[in-house]
Amino acid sequence: MYLSTLTFTLLVLPLLLFLFYLIPSRGKPVFLLLVGFLLYGWGNPIRLLVPAAYVFYDYGIGLLLQKVEKHHTFSRCIVIVTAVLQAAALTVVRMYANEDSEFLFPLGMAIFTLHGLGYLIGVHRRNHAAEVHFCNFALYLTFFPVLYAGPLISYSDFQEQLCKNKHHIVNLGSGLGLFVRGLAEKVVLADTLGYVFRELRQTDTASISMLTAWLTVIVFSMYLYFELLGYADMARGLGRCFGINLPKNFGQPFWTPSVTAFMESWNISHVHWFQKNFRDFLFRTVKHRWTKYASLVLMWMLIGLWYGSTLQFLLWGLFVGVLLATEQFFLNRILKRNYAFGLLYTGVSLQFAWVLLFAGSMSEAGDYWRAMLGFGAGLADRYGLYFFTSYIVFLLICFYIATDLFRNITERVAVTAVGKKIMSLMPLIECVLLIFCFACMLYKSIPIELWLKL
Amino acid sequence: MSKQFYYHTVLMVVIVYAAVLLNTGLRGFPKPTMQTLVNGAWSAQVESFLEEKIGFHDSLFRLKSQIDLLIGERLIQDVYITDDMLLEKLGSEPTVSTADSVNVLNQFYEKYRIPTYLILVPSASEIYEDLLPANAVKENQQKQISEIYTGVMTGIRYVDAYNILSSLKEEYVYYRTDTHWTSYGAYAVYQSAIRKMGFTAVPYNRYVVSHLSTDFRGDLYERTLYDDVKADVLDCYTYENGGKAVSVTAYYADGTEEDRGTQLYAHSRLESGNMYEFYLGRPCAMLKIRTDLENDKRLLIYKDDFANCMIPFLLQHYSEICIVDLEQSIGISDRLANPEEFTQVLFLSSMESWENVWMHIGQTE
Repeated sequence: MYLSTLTFTLLVLPLLLFLFYLIPSRGKPVFLLLVGFLLYGWGNPIRLLVPAAYVFYDYGIGLLLQKVEKHHTFSRCIVIVTAVLQAAALTVVRMYANEDSEFLFPLGMAIFTLHGLGYLIGVHRRNHAAEVHFCNFALYLTFFPVLYAGPLISYSDFQEQLCKNKHHIVNLGSGLGLFVRGLAEKVVLADTLGYVFRELRQTDTASISMLTAWLTVIVFSMYLYFELLGYADMARGLGRCFGINLPKNFGQPFWTPSVTAFMESWNISHVHWFQKNFRDFLFRTVKHRWTKYASLVLMWMLIGLWYGSTLQFLLWGLFVGVLLATEQFFLNRILKRNYAFGLLYTGVSLQFAWVLLFAGSMSEAGDYWRAMLGFGAGLADRYGLYFFTSYIVFLLICFYIATDLFRNITERVAVTAVGKKIMSLMPLIECVLLIFCFACMLYKSIPIELWLKL
Repeated sequence: MSKQFYYHTVLMVVIVYAAVLLNTGLRGFPKPTMQTLVNGAWSAQVESFLEEKIGFHDSLFRLKSQIDLLIGERLIQDVYITDDMLLEKLGSEPTVSTADSVNVLNQFYEKYRIPTYLILVPSASEIYEDLLPANAVKENQQKQISEIYTGVMTGIRYVDAYNILSSLKEEYVYYRTDTHWTSYGAYAVYQSAIRKMGFTAVPYNRYVVSHLSTDFRGDLYERTLYDDVKADVLDCYTYENGGKAVSVTAYYADGTEEDRGTQLYAHSRLESGNMYEFYLGRPCAMLKIRTDLENDKRLLIYKDDFANCMIPFLLQHYSEICIVDLEQSIGISDRLANPEEFTQVLFLSSMESWENVWMHIGQTE
């Protein structure tokens, strides 16, 4: 069940929170585990088999790794084989789970794959012991708020916090506030952007104008950002209600002078996972002066493949990786001196990259790139103009939210007396937001599945 | 933040939830069965139940659409909001090519060789194109209509409803809050159609026009709940000295029959949500009307619901009219009526539902 449905927000959430706070602390992990499975299997119980298989497999392998910890090479082999197997499984499942087939993509497969692997690598490196309590481990792997789009949390952080946090009202209040904000990001902003994006994409790509091409890409990048951000914030909010502080997954990257700075606030916890478990591993094993750059490019290619298992995603990763490596190599020095150039360069180069994340094929991506460079069908067409005039205000609002422009002014106001008055009205504002979210949810039936199969 | 702040948040959220949930009617909550539980149908039913029945549904809906309009979006639930009227957004690509549609009509004509007439009514969005927001893209119905008209065999005669209606666009030919044309629009097209069908039209001044309702809000209003467009007037045209229906029989798709006596109009529908059903009553697969006229003219109509308000005008010329509603008689339209028993056949459909109509004529082959 998706978090942004009325069924969840209106019916399940109140019931869930009520029961969660009612039952004694010792029962809470089991309760959360059961709820997670119930929501996962909601409407399609067969899907439950996939996470169940992963839970059993990773639990068993974890104990095995603990047993053979003296044989370092053997244990490393097990981890590598598991990683390859699970990556292959993810790829195969993604290939078969397209819109035409009966087979639905098992929600969150990419997420619990990373969680499981991170846990196994942690055991292998003796960062933490293997979990003996099956229930606790199963809860970690299937903790439902994060299954949609993260954020990722390391195993030791998760276990440390599990049901130990006693400040119930602070948890609940701040959690609900964060959940509402995430819900608004998803249903108010992302869903509208998604609608505009889908409408814009209906044009024949061979005869697309420059305006439409740029508009499509910009709308898509915002749509992706707000969708992932919305789900991550909903997850953090729910996590906090359950006493677990999940890390922040996104900053406000849309006004940054370099791709490095952009990617530092993009999917933070996921990039961090790849950094810790993949790039550091390369650093330790291969010692060469080019390792720094090669590992960066390889890591981003892997992230690309993690987003989706087609050639375009791989190329997206390559594109971003090469940009980042170039910046580290020499470009950063130039960008630091020239802020305006940096903004322009980041904006333009990333828009070319985003095309790869939504194009169905390389030839479609080529059509978009050509049109963006001005070799398409003219400068503007009616379609693009219509959406531009109808949504420019909305886009500017989204853009403002996705940047950190003027944030320091807001922060300075917040500490004044007036600012504090406004801050104390936040609960009221959050309620208005919640009401507006309900309005958006009943309004239009838009496909609620995520764009990326995570 | 102080603890009090979080108490406030929780309290406010609880109040909102309580208000919304207590106003959500639980009557008709979908019941799960083993099958719907497994295949996901039940969860979809629950979601759409909540979308419709959530407390304060209409206020929430209006809140969202008002904010959309404020931001600059003129399209609400696929309906363009203009100052004067609500205009439906036309589908971008027809699924059925005009050539296929023409083939079906031609095959029908070749099979029966009965005088056949064709009226394709454009949507209001086509006639009032200039009211649409700047740059709004829509399919060109006029082009599609003329493609079909030029494609059909010479034996099939057609009426250019587009030109008639667009020359009258300053008049009240389409409802402001409904997709259909008004009785006046239907009369204007009837005038030139009936001449082609071999009769003289009853002059406009012979009719007594009574306003059945001045507060008619049609299907486009139902979809948008937008109040700032003036409500419509629902008219009934009566010709005192003209032909009267002597028997009206409705045949439903499930095989049941209903004898409606001499009542063509359904006054009870005026109290219901769908006032437009006044003209022909509850939708049925086929409606047989006998009139007190004594001639041997029998008309078979294949239609969608645009035809409803034109039937009263046609009644003045035939001893029997048989109306097959192509949207209600999916798969059985060929069993309902045998075209050979009639002297004339009329295809009357709006361009918007033409694809559906085509589909069902296709089944009679």
